[in-house]
Amino acid sequence: MFSKMLRWINERWPLSTAIRWSLEEEMPGGTSYAYIFGSCVLILFLFQVITGVWQLLYFVPTTDRGYDSLNYLRTEIPFGWLIHGLHYWGASAMIVLVGLHISQVYIWGAYKNPRQLTWLIGVGNLLLTLALGFTGPVLPWDERGYWEAEVAVSSAGTIPLIGTLARNLLSGCTALGQMTVSRFFFLHVAILPGILIAFVILHLVAFRKFGISGPWDEAKRKLTGLFWPDQIFKDGIVVTLIFVALVGLSAYWPPPYSGPLDVLETFYVPKPEWYFLFFYQTLKAFHGVFEPIGTIGIPLIVTLLFLFLPFYDQSPERNPARRPVAMICFFIFIAWVITMAIIGYDSHPGIASEGTSKVSTASLQASKVSSGDPAAQASATVKQGEQLFNSLGCIGCHTIKGRGGVVGPALTPQLLKGKTRQWLITQIRNPRSHNPSTIMPAFSSATDRQINDVVDFLLSVVQGKPVIRGPVVKAPPTATVPVPPAIPSTAEVTGPHGPPEAASFTIGNVELGATIFHQDCEPCHGPQGKDKVPNPGSTDGTVPPLNPIDPTLFNKTAQIFVDHIDPYIQHGSIPDGPNPALHMLSFGDSQSLTQQMIANVEAYVLRLNGVERAQPVHPVLQPPLFFWLVVIVYALVLGGFLIWKGKR
Amino acid sequence: MVDNQNWNHTCAVAEAPLSGGGVPALQPETPRRRFLKLITNLMVALVAAVLAVPLIGGMIGSSFRLKKLRWAEIGDISSLSLEEPTNMKFAYKTEDAYIRETVIHDVWVIKHSPSEVTVFSPICPHLGCHYAWHPETQEFACPCHGSIYSITGKVLGGPAPRPLDTLPFKLEKEVLFVEWETFKVGTPQKTRT
Repeated sequence: MFSKMLRWINERWPLSTAIRWSLEEEMPGGTSYAYIFGSCVLILFLFQVITGVWQLLYFVPTTDRGYDSLNYLRTEIPFGWLIHGLHYWGASAMIVLVGLHISQVYIWGAYKNPRQLTWLIGVGNLLLTLALGFTGPVLPWDERGYWEAEVAVSSAGTIPLIGTLARNLLSGCTALGQMTVSRFFFLHVAILPGILIAFVILHLVAFRKFGISGPWDEAKRKLTGLFWPDQIFKDGIVVTLIFVALVGLSAYWPPPYSGPLDVLETFYVPKPEWYFLFFYQTLKAFHGVFEPIGTIGIPLIVTLLFLFLPFYDQSPERNPARRPVAMICFFIFIAWVITMAIIGYDSHPGIASEGTSKVSTASLQASKVSSGDPAAQASATVKQGEQLFNSLGCIGCHTIKGRGGVVGPALTPQLLKGKTRQWLITQIRNPRSHNPSTIMPAFSSATDRQINDVVDFLLSVVQGKPVIRGPVVKAPPTATVPVPPAIPSTAEVTGPHGPPEAASFTIGNVELGATIFHQDCEPCHGPQGKDKVPNPGSTDGTVPPLNPIDPTLFNKTAQIFVDHIDPYIQHGSIPDGPNPALHMLSFGDSQSLTQQMIANVEAYVLRLNGVERAQPVHPVLQPPLFFWLVVIVYALVLGGFLIWKGKR
Repeated sequence: MVDNQNWNHTCAVAEAPLSGGGVPALQPETPRRRFLKLITNLMVALVAAVLAVPLIGGMIGSSFRLKKLRWAEIGDISSLSLEEPTNMKFAYKTEDAYIRETVIHDVWVIKHSPSEVTVFSPICPHLGCHYAWHPETQEFACPCHGSIYSITGKVLGGPAPRPLDTLPFKLEKEVLFVEWETFKVGTPQKTRT
């Protein structure tokens, strides 16, 4: 029956011939594990196509829903974590194997006559793979994706003469936005994979025409092996191991949640995927007018050197020992890539000292926004003060120079006018000595120098120019906080007012959340939410600690937990008690934190309490369990088969 | 060149009879090769199986999920007067996969005692308009087609085919929670949409 069917098909379409053509090959020098890389890349590309197409069921390429739809796929869809993990890690694995494949071809001299065209197509495949690895991470339009697009589009803009054209064509608009996501999506899921499939077929046809180049030693070529099954068996073993490794990586090292895009967020350090780190680091060497050399010149030259390799190296010699120049060039290139990647990985741009210069860029931008404020040229202490104003969290409540929260009074020149240095220091150290019912926290842990810097900054706002200050003024010792007299509280209803807002629906970035927490929440809740900061006049007597959090707010299901805490962060709350000195501030309503920042803080608060914001809701099997199940099934089936064969 | 001969050989194979048997193999099929073929196929099958489980499982698992009903918090009813319909607005989170939106809905609440209330959907069962309470006549009246209901929801006049729709609720310390549902309009039966 089967052979009849096969015959029927073969009479109309050369199926058996096609199979035989793809499998039957005599390999000079026999099979080797050195030849597995090409097959591995092919199979990995197949995995990428399958897992990529599957993700289209859930992912939408839009700026507002992209990240949420991806997270829905990762957390709500059974095995979504695995499919996305395989795609994410598969991309990295594919690039590693493409690199190994091309290195093997180079060392074996397999690009030489008659395989020049195979090499040319292969370099095309390398470029397409890198382009796929570049366009993919942009798609969710999260913190990582946005900044990667920004870099890509800006780099295109540095091309001489046609820069603006290239930039606008790539971004689909004059600024980054929905059209940019659509273009990257179009490239990533349609154009690039389509061309790559065509190129892979061309590559395979070219490879079949001449077969493998085999060992360079003529004597070793006498022995021959078969592509199927001898070589494919070796390929199969490695592919199986890679696949199991990808499942393991997806289970134990899931792709990071970089957080919803927030261009106001200045703590995020954008870095490319590891496979572009070497390029990213190299780019740093080119400034100003030399920038196009880095962004366009070097990639172009390297690509051309790769492409035309078989034409400027025409010697038929394949033995690496007799090609010293080629080998030295190879090792220099590899050393450059690895060294630059390691430096790039290790670099902390913008975090030069005390982790504040990132903030300083932000404040510089802010001062630029406020139309060339003279404070931009302020003295060092004013600048320090401005950074501290951000990092100590003052900006969470007070608007200054047009930026900041609205919980406390805006620090306009009119308000600050006439206030002495000593008055301001006391206000920061011990606000209740001026106004017993103030909700401003006492910044008792800041150093004298820091407080003086902040005061310098405040005074510079009044004067519109840097202040020249004398010796650092000693702050009066922090007085024990007097219990304020019972003033009737204006707000009678305690607890948060209002429902959870948009932040509660989005999965935040825990690391960014920790930074924001440090800046805005620590003054009252203490480091890691552990302190019991005194709150006189409240029933509890302290600000409620967040770690561990009130058991009525806790829930081990992340979404419910977030829904419980989000209203407090959004709308603030007034603690129970006759006259609580400190209130929870309404970070959302006052817009002192964006919804994205609140999502990040919530992810951090959940982690402090041992709950992952991004937990899979319907995992069927917990990821590590699934991985070990796969390992056991593989071991049993393959082991069982070997034992059964051994007995026969 | 060795390689070119190889190519020619493959071409020769292509011209051979297509029925499978009778083609001279490149090298003899040894027991070792038979074993290698078997175990390679087995490895491919395993990878395919492990890949198929999540691919198919993910598609099936998410297709049979029931839409979640959530308790929506309406508010504190301790200050409501007894037996007097009150319109209470609340923010309701709708959820459709990853698209979540908060919409404002309202319900009519009649408090009988601190632990007993009636909650009416604000939608007229006739054709879906929003009706209102008229304290002077002690009636609910719909402005669209003049349906009139008593405080218990009974139809007193107009084209309404059924009494006002009640909604499931629960009370926690006088805080009212409602399951927001909508029903088909224009039919004598109350059926969920």
